[in-house]
Amino acid sequence: MAKDMTLLWGTGSPPCWRVMIALEEKNLQGYDHKLLSFEKMEHKSQQVLDINPRGQLPTFKHGDNVINESYAACFYLESQFKSQGTKLIPDGPAEQALMYQRMFEGLTFYEKLNAVIYYEWYVPEGERHESALKRNKEALVTELKLWEGYLQKLGSGSYLAGPSFTLADVVVFPTVGTVFRFGLSPERYPKLGEYYNLLKERPSVKASWPPHWLENPKGQDTLKDI
Amino acid sequence: MAKDMTLLWGSGSPPCWRIMIVLEEKNLQGYNQKLLSFEKGEHKSKEVMEINPRGQLPAFKCGDVPLNESCAACFHLECKYKSQGTKLIPDCEDEKAQILQRVFEVNALTEKSSIVLYYNWIVPEGERHDSAVKRNKEALTAELKLWEGYLQKASSGFIVGKDFSLADVIVYPTVAYLFQNGLSEQRYPKLAEYYKGLMNRPSIKASWPPTWKNAPKQETLKDI
Repeated sequence: MAKDMTLLWGTGSPPCWRVMIALEEKNLQGYDHKLLSFEKMEHKSQQVLDINPRGQLPTFKHGDNVINESYAACFYLESQFKSQGTKLIPDGPAEQALMYQRMFEGLTFYEKLNAVIYYEWYVPEGERHESALKRNKEALVTELKLWEGYLQKLGSGSYLAGPSFTLADVVVFPTVGTVFRFGLSPERYPKLGEYYNLLKERPSVKASWPPHWLENPKGQDTLKDI
Repeated sequence: MAKDMTLLWGSGSPPCWRIMIVLEEKNLQGYNQKLLSFEKGEHKSKEVMEINPRGQLPAFKCGDVPLNESCAACFHLECKYKSQGTKLIPDCEDEKAQILQRVFEVNALTEKSSIVLYYNWIVPEGERHDSAVKRNKEALTAELKLWEGYLQKASSGFIVGKDFSLADVIVYPTVAYLFQNGLSEQRYPKLAEYYKGLMNRPSIKASWPPTWKNAPKQETLKDI
């Protein structure tokens, strides 16, 4: 049950957010959790390393089961708590296949986003190049256009895999939330904007919204011109 | 059924190989398939782009539905054909958790090995740094040690538990790829044992990359 679960997390981290949305959707509120700070390097602290030798967040335990990879935790929670909360994996084979496809494309989307917004976190000063950042931005634009296209084809009010909210939305929405936090223009990406507005009102998303985004409603403008 | 499935693939590509292993394990032989060449740029051809707008291999279709991401295809096939062939995701909660964890950790292994293997391909000349090359190699070494540790704890020749699972489907092609590129069997004995131990499993043998059969191994990773 929820009280056998422990989550160590960081605010604004999409992987952490994914797990939190899944826990909300499966009515597993009441889990133990601790908010840690990336800036203070708390993700490399002993309490994290004891559970997650990679020194990363999220770090998630259910009883003795340690599942730190956010996608793994989401699949696990849906599987173990299938009969409670929202059904996150649809039965229809076509919808299910589309859900899986979008989920795994979501990893690429997340990587391309990080390569732009966290360029300076990942690349030491002496190795940074304008040309590299430019190329990363172009790759992100190509990726965003793909997702804009996916949403266009499904029509207004749709979720990523069709008419229902699924695991694809659980794992990809945090990335979409982040792109708008960093200033993406909803005028230039209207379908993504529509999707963002739809999901941000969902109870599980609202309940797990990054606290520091609530404290500072104004985000960054790194992506405003792309 | 198998004949409603189409796979466009490249020899030696771990993502392509994963799908082929699952198709074998689930007794779905007889699918339509076409071997394409990365070298000739065939992954960017029209027939690939029609299934996979990203212009990547594998390009896989199950009926009308594209499932180009290898893990997506593997999960979907296991789910759809749950009752036939090998059971790749067990019901037992603890094992399932570990299998899922390892499946998604492979991403880290793939990223860290790709940046070493393909550094000069990924990074244009003016942006390359020895410091980056060194750091990437150190990161890959640390990652490999983690996997060596996981296999140290494993007892039956599989990455998790006593049976072949989805974790092996996802992990094995990546491990084999590293040895094909010169990873040292002396320095990574548990990984080598795992690699050799599963080589003759029917699904793996049947889908072994054709271009590896007569080709000498590369040496890129021999000093890692």
